[in-house]
Amino acid sequence: MKIGRIVITGVLCLRLFGFIALDLMFFGVVSLNSAVLTILPLIGLVLGGVLGAVASTRGSA
Amino acid sequence: MSLIRSLGIVVLLGAPLGLLTTTSTADAAVTGNCTATASFITGTKARGPFTVDTATIGNDTIKVRRSDTVEWKGGVPAPPGTFSGFVKIDLPPLVPDVTVETWKGDSQTTENSGTKKYDLPGIVPAGVTFQVIGRHADTNGVCSGVVDVEIEGGPFDSPLTAVSLVGTVVTAAGSAGAVRPLFRRVRS
Repeated sequence: MKIGRIVITGVLCLRLFGFIALDLMFFGVVSLNSAVLTILPLIGLVLGGVLGAVASTRGSA
Repeated sequence: MSLIRSLGIVVLLGAPLGLLTTTSTADAAVTGNCTATASFITGTKARGPFTVDTATIGNDTIKVRRSDTVEWKGGVPAPPGTFSGFVKIDLPPLVPDVTVETWKGDSQTTENSGTKKYDLPGIVPAGVTFQVIGRHADTNGVCSGVVDVEIEGGPFDSPLTAVSLVGTVVTAAGSAGAVRPLFRRVRS
């Protein structure tokens, strides 16, 4: 398992989900005070970390 | 299709959609005996000049122009004595609220009025619901209110929308590249 890939994937997914949250806000899907804007990037971080961990095992297999 | 690949797609698509169904904007509401009106002199393209009154505001979202002049009037039922209050914009959890105005003092006057010009910068998104919270406390009690406000216009009125969309595409490509080994076939 490569720590570097886990961190990179986690940060990339954090940013991806952060931008998705901003898109949802700019297009009026969620309000400015919605918890989605906070939660979505955190989900991205965790999900990215998990996917990065799985990908690192698959990559080295 | 492998289990991990299926699970990844379900989580990627399902998590945001599941969250969206649980979100809602709070209803506009005013509690206490304060009164306040705000007349927007230019008003919106759709409505023209209009007046917002705390007594009749209900649960409507108030659409306003990006820049306008507001004639406001506020009142309390009895001489306030020592008073304080604020108006602020509610932001997501973990992000500090933005304070628009604060006041405090000692007075026996029961009414106040004025005129205020505002001009919101272009980066403030249009078509997005803001929740504006107001609170006034004096020796007679506390009154507070929550109002949903939206700037007239569409998402592309703000340059940040394009920046956000480009950011989404670029980081999606980066993320796909980072998890590419998940989509490789495992040779037996």
